[in-house]
Formats: sequence, C-alpha cells, structure tokens
Amino acid sequence: MRFVDEYRDPDLARALSAQIAALTEPGRHYKVMEVCGGHTHAIYRYGVHDLLPDNIELVHGPGCPVCVIPMGRVDDGIAIAEQPGVILTCFGDMMRVPGGRGSFLEANARGADIRMVYSPLDALRIARENPDRQVVFSAIGFETTAPSTALTVLRAEQEGVENFSVMCSHVTIIPAIKAILDSPDLRLDAFIGPGHVSTVIGCRPYEFIAREHGKPVVCAGFEPLDVLQSVHMIMRQLAESRCEVENQYGRVVRWDGNPLALKALSQVFELRPFFEWRGLGSIPQSALRFTAGYARFDAEQRFELPGVQVADPKACQCGEVLKGVLKPWECKVFGTACTPETPIGTCMVSSEGACAAYYNYGQYSRQRLDLQVL
Amino acid sequence: MSFGESCSATEGCITCGDTAIVLTVVSIDDADACCQDATGRTERVATELVGPVEIGDRLLVHAGVAIELLPHDGVPEA
Repeated sequence: MRFVDEYRDPDLARALSAQIAALTEPGRHYKVMEVCGGHTHAIYRYGVHDLLPDNIELVHGPGCPVCVIPMGRVDDGIAIAEQPGVILTCFGDMMRVPGGRGSFLEANARGADIRMVYSPLDALRIARENPDRQVVFSAIGFETTAPSTALTVLRAEQEGVENFSVMCSHVTIIPAIKAILDSPDLRLDAFIGPGHVSTVIGCRPYEFIAREHGKPVVCAGFEPLDVLQSVHMIMRQLAESRCEVENQYGRVVRWDGNPLALKALSQVFELRPFFEWRGLGSIPQSALRFTAGYARFDAEQRFELPGVQVADPKACQCGEVLKGVLKPWECKVFGTACTPETPIGTCMVSSEGACAAYYNYGQYSRQRLDLQVL
Repeated sequence: MSFGESCSATEGCITCGDTAIVLTVVSIDDADACCQDATGRTERVATELVGPVEIGDRLLVHAGVAIELLPHDGVPEA
C-alpha cells in the first residue's frame, strides 16, 4: 500500500536501528518522551522499543485523549444524560471511561440514552432527526479533534439547529508538555512530538522546548519507521549538541499547521482559565471552552452540572503513568484488577493508553503483531 | 486501519486515539466529499477546513472531517 509499506520496510528498520545505536554515548542513559498515545500504541504494536539500544528509554506521555479525562467530567456527562429528553453522544472509548458513578456504558444500561458516534457531525445529524430531544455531544480530544467539533458547531449555527449542544472537554497539548517539563519527578532528554496534533497547530508552538528547556523535539508520523527515524533525528541532535524542533512527518505536517482549522478553533473556542487533568492536576489555560458568540451551544450553560471533583481510586496509578514516572507494569493493579475488559484507570481504556497498549502488545500479549520488521 | 473499524475491540476507537486516516476523494457534494480508503470503503467527509478539493485529492481525515489536503507527491506546501 503506497505511503504505508515504505514505512514498514524491515531492511530500512534494521539500518536505522544500527545508526541509532552508533549515535549513543556509552554509559549515558537517554529518556525520550513520546507525547502522543498514538505513538505509544505504534511502539508496542510493532515492537519498536525492541529495536532500540538498552540505554534509550521511551517514556510515555499524556497525549491519550480519554486517559486525561478526570472522573468528575464523566459524572457530569451522566448527569446530563439522565435528564429527561436528552440524548448524549460520545466517541467509542469514552463509553468505557470509569467515573465516580460508573461509565457511560453503565449509565446507558440504567436507562440513559447515550449513543456512540464516529464524528461530531453524526451527533448533529441525530439532533436534526430528533427535533423534540436535546442532543449533547461529549467532546474530548486534543487539537486533532477540536477542529471537527468547531466545524460541527459552525454548521449547527448555519443550519439553525437549536437542540444541539456540546459538553466541551477538549484539551491542548502545549500546557501539558509545560507541566511535565516543570515536574521535578522526571528528567527527559527529548520529545517525540505528536504528529496529528501538529497537522493542526504546526511545529512552531514547540520551539520554546528547544529554546527555553534545551531539549530537542521531533514531530513524527505513526508508522514504525517514522518513530525509528524520529529517534534517530533526536539522537543526532544530542550527539551534535543541538536543540531544535524538527519535522519528521513532513509528508503531512506543515510548519505553521492548518490555518483554516486554527481559524475555526479560534472562532468557536477560547482557553479556559483552568482545567483538571487526570494525573497532572489543574493546569492553567490548558483546555477549551466556548467563546461568547457560541455560548448558546455550551451544554455546561444549558444544563445544570454537579461539577464535583472525584478522586481516582486509591489503587489506580494512572497519574504516575501519564507523567511517565511509572511504567504501566509497575502499577499495583496492572493486569490483575485492571485490564482492558474491566479497566479501573483510563490508561487501560483506550488502545492509545500506555497500559492498554502494553497489555495488548507487550508481555501480556493477546495478539501482538509480529513486527515484520524483525 | 480503516475507518470501518472505527471502534473495534482490538484497535480501540480511532477518534479517541487521535488517529487520522488518508482517504481519496471520489466525488464532491457541496462542502462534503465522498472519499474512499484503500480497501474501497467510502465515507462522507467535511472539507471546509482544507479548502476546495478535487476528485483524486488525498485527504487526512479525522472524525469525519478533513484536517489536511495532502499533496500528490507526498510533500505539503510550506
């Protein structure tokens, strides 16, 4: 398949692996954070970590959209869904995220009308088809997903659909990276930047990481050779004592991102003063809310929400996993009480979550794909 | 992965996972395009965020919305 097979070439993978090893300094331990859950998934799925020397450690970051949703937001969604005449819609993995009062899936079983959608545009279609019901879209995700919500709201306005609103839990990646850089728990050497978020925001927003923190960033694609090449680019920067933002995913990502998507985002959304992230706590200006011009589509204004903070279960160590302080298998309940079938923490819900990725493709493998590379 | 497996048991939800897929435009209907993946499955895609598209264009699609128009030679404009 064009644009796929060439990024899974075993000979190229072996050559890159050898070049990476040659760039490492003996006795030095390197920690590279892949920010995006999509990279975590690719690394475990294709066994990319097995192609790296022992002294390069890949640390999993907070870029899994459902993993960072705090339990209180799930409860807020359930509170909306339980109101008469409401249809709550959400993406697939959100159905299984545990809240203080269970998951959306469990609320559905109790009688709430909660429906899974592939796109926010599907939620708008449901609103058109059910003019006597209030249809709410529970929006999650980083800058990859937020433009699709913004576009849907613009279409709802254009079409005059009044029974549609959005519970907005969209978050932004840069403040989360800043929180990790400010964390005393973790020493990192470099970042693999999120490929699809960068399609929207571009590479420029990461420049402060190189300039102010002295750490290389390489925006990367999601095929195994993309990840390997990004590690190679990072190792070359470190070997040459350079700190720059580089774009490995040039076939998709433009340096300044997608201006039409950014325009839609700024038209519909603005930054919240604070937002609670699971594991990272409250981070200023790290999430989106509606601008005054589109506030009538804000489900948080249309419905009364409990807005209660709910503490994570004591046994769950998702917070440490999300910050890269703990590896998935170091969590006390990993693979025992917490599995993809019965997740306690969010990192076990989404396949992009570090725990689920490791559970599915790591030593607890149910169906690890043999990386044809090996 | 195909959008047909948008929330499969083994792959998870591609929208939740920030996954974007490359689709090819096969027909155009106002602001939407009918797009096809490599397996022949088709999907209606909103195109407002990438500007005008033509039949044969390759789009990077996430959650039913095109977020980038990919160049035919694999290298986007600066």
